[in-house]
Amino acid sequence: MKSTRATQEPRWVRYTLLSVGLGFLFFFLGLPLVAVFVEALAQGLPVYLEALKEPETRSAIGLTVGIALAVLPFNIVFGVAAAWAIAKFDFKGKSLLITLIDLPFAVSPVVAGLIFILLFGAQGTFGPWLAEHDLKIIFAVPGMIIATLFITFPFIARELIPLMQSQGKDEEEAAVSLGASGWQMFWRVTLPNIKWGLLYGVILSNARAMGEFGAVSVVSGHIRGETNTLPLHVEILYNEYNAIGAFAAASILALLALVTLVAKTIVEWRMKKETEMLNTVLAPEKT
Amino acid sequence: MSIEIRNISKRFGNFVALDNINLDIPTGELVALLGPSGCGKTTLLRIIAGMESADQGEILFSGAEATHLHARDRNVGFVFQHYALFRHMTVFENVAFGLRVKPRKERPSDAEIKRRVMELLGLVQLDWLADRYPSQLSGGQRQRIALARALAVEPKVLLLDEPFGALDTKVRKELRRWLRRLHDEMHISSVFVTHDQEEALEVADRVVVMNHGKIEQIGSPDEVYSAPASPFVYQFLGNVNVFHSRVQGGYAEVERHEVSEKTTAFVRPHDIDIALQPLEDGLQATVQHVHPIGPLVRIELQHNSEIVEVELSRERHEALQLVVGQAVWFRPRQMRVFGADQLPRSTPEKQAFLF
Amino acid sequence: MAAKTHRVLPGFGLALGYTLVYLSLLILLPLGGMILKASELGFGQIVDIALSERSLAAFRVTFGASLIAALINGFFGLIVAWILVRYPFPGKRFVDALVDLPFALPTAVAGITLATLYAGNGWLGRYIEPLGFKVAYTPWGIVVALTFITLPFVVRTLQPVIEDIETEVEEAAASLGASRWQTFVKVIFPAIFPALLTGFALAFARAVGEYGSVIFIAGNLPLISEITPLLIISKLEQYDVLGATALAVVMLGLSFILLLAVNVLQWWTANRHKNNEPLEVTAARAGGAA
Repeated sequence: MKSTRATQEPRWVRYTLLSVGLGFLFFFLGLPLVAVFVEALAQGLPVYLEALKEPETRSAIGLTVGIALAVLPFNIVFGVAAAWAIAKFDFKGKSLLITLIDLPFAVSPVVAGLIFILLFGAQGTFGPWLAEHDLKIIFAVPGMIIATLFITFPFIARELIPLMQSQGKDEEEAAVSLGASGWQMFWRVTLPNIKWGLLYGVILSNARAMGEFGAVSVVSGHIRGETNTLPLHVEILYNEYNAIGAFAAASILALLALVTLVAKTIVEWRMKKETEMLNTVLAPEKT
Repeated sequence: MSIEIRNISKRFGNFVALDNINLDIPTGELVALLGPSGCGKTTLLRIIAGMESADQGEILFSGAEATHLHARDRNVGFVFQHYALFRHMTVFENVAFGLRVKPRKERPSDAEIKRRVMELLGLVQLDWLADRYPSQLSGGQRQRIALARALAVEPKVLLLDEPFGALDTKVRKELRRWLRRLHDEMHISSVFVTHDQEEALEVADRVVVMNHGKIEQIGSPDEVYSAPASPFVYQFLGNVNVFHSRVQGGYAEVERHEVSEKTTAFVRPHDIDIALQPLEDGLQATVQHVHPIGPLVRIELQHNSEIVEVELSRERHEALQLVVGQAVWFRPRQMRVFGADQLPRSTPEKQAFLF
Repeated sequence: MAAKTHRVLPGFGLALGYTLVYLSLLILLPLGGMILKASELGFGQIVDIALSERSLAAFRVTFGASLIAALINGFFGLIVAWILVRYPFPGKRFVDALVDLPFALPTAVAGITLATLYAGNGWLGRYIEPLGFKVAYTPWGIVVALTFITLPFVVRTLQPVIEDIETEVEEAAASLGASRWQTFVKVIFPAIFPALLTGFALAFARAVGEYGSVIFIAGNLPLISEITPLLIISKLEQYDVLGATALAVVMLGLSFILLLAVNVLQWWTANRHKNNEPLEVTAARAGGAA
């Protein structure tokens, strides 16, 4: 029985497109993802676990988590503040400001690292002053935090700006007209409305913060056990031909990526459900 | 609380939203701001509420200067066009919001809040929905919750932005009557914005007709309908036939050319008589269409190249028995003539006309 | 009396002030510092560094590989977006979520994995190399890494646009006698083309700056498989800060041009089918009036 609707491709076209598309995804996404874990477990689970117990790997995990945690509050405050100003008010130069927020997406991570070397490095603008006061930013953790901030700060703002724009100002205005103070309005009305979008932005920026390589690599100085994040540690182990170690560390990051994808999908699903609920047109009221 | 609006102007960029508006709203009145979209009516409402600030002019509440008073401190209840219910709060919490955010020493106890919220929900007849979320309500229910929420803080003035705009016809009619009753019971001043002339005429004590940021006319529903102050008001409130005429000695002379000033005569479709025999001062025309619409029958006549719309009662139509193609005579019973300057040339007393 | 127009919603000054200070410290100051540093060189010297044999080769490799990767993704991304929106198949939700993997997977992990896969003894390399085609440690390795990294861009920009196509339009085309292919070429493709171009540009822009995933698989031979970001780093490691800065400034300039192009494209996508409503209505809406 042949039942091709007017808006459907012939069956052979559909199957061809499906095979090409899924084949492409298999070779470029599926295979690498599987390979990470297979390579990490190539010599069995005990060797894998042993590789993870290595003190340098553990300190790298600690530093990666630490930097991500340090960056998070800055990104949240910035994201909410920027989105509040941009989504709820009109002012001159707004589109310029949005472009400026997008900028880190267009800057190569290597360049992002370099600009902070030029600023805080030994020969940098503030280098001599920092040396005088015995402060170390470049080739130290503070520099890595700053570089990570640069790379990750747009994520939350980018997520919140369209969300808050679509929600409009009505609810906040209603709160104010009912006598709420600024903080009451923010905590009781604004924040509950944006919580899923905020969480989504946090997930994305966190994944990037933990996985960033280029920018952090430039400013870290690769000091083992001190300024090595997990991605940097992967590079070192790999270059030392310690494949098991490298892939063991990489598998942790791959797991993190999978957790990110799952969390992201759940939050997306929640947000979709919420907008669907809001857009449901209910049957006219019975009188 | 009375509201006085003095010389209020507001621009958005090059767009003049309000142009020197003056308006008094006495205590206890229910006033409609009526006009097409973009006429500035919502902007005026938002300025009264303190949501928007005027470029110039002032607002007085009960005679006291309120122009720069913050929205929070105006004691105004505002009902938003799309209700603006807090989507993540239950109906109960929505209505309780205004009480819960009061400074601690003014805040009622939880028991008192519960009592007042349930009382308000009873007033809007939705107490059985207290635990629902806004997304689970119909449009009419949301509207009533929004109203209950605005009333919870006991405002002196109630402002409503297109309160029935998003509802279907049946619910809208019922809510209109209900708003009228509520207004009378609460003894407050209310202002609502609408683009629906029927709504304004039916509900309001006074209608303020606006266009292009200016007030065209202020008057009782009957005044604005039967004695429109400008061609715009004539055309905005109900159907009208427009005749190009010339004025001579206080009479409109349609289709006579030996005259002084170019004017326009406006005649409501229900103010036209049709006869089967020649009428004195009447014009001849051909019946083009006959549409029975409920209690009325709408007749389209063709006079020369122009279409004239006439509304007859069913009884009158049955007496005439018009058929398409028939030749008839028609004559306005009542008309109003405006000059090119948009000012009236005829008065209700002086309504004679010649064709 | 200077009655400044007040805003009903609070916090504008605080939020905007914080945003501006933050952006100034984190972006404008460092970028300004870099441009200042580069100005020590002077325009002529920057051009000399950028046009040296090694830099030119690096630019050629970087932009060439990025272009090929973006083209590959433009083609396959369109197919993937199409099947994800239009065709039902088992495990679709999983596949849909997996498309974002390159955004979530750290680039270093992608780099070592791809290098291992395409190496002579790797899962894919062992079948490809006997055919006389080397991927790992050649410019083609760069293309593979960049294709992986930028895979989601085209898919994710196209998906919502394909979802928005009203099937009624396609039905109309079919009822007017168009074949499915004609409908695609004349109705569907023009509707999604701007989004495809935007996705392509985003992928290209991202690929140009990519570093982490490339260095493991590229082989990094100067003049052959060395990308510009790597050249910047090696100059930095040789304490040639000025040389690195010169290259960075050139890259930054090119990135800006790309960002501008993407913005123009997005603006075009958003506006080209807007109805021309009366100016005053637009103005009134912009001002919040009814």
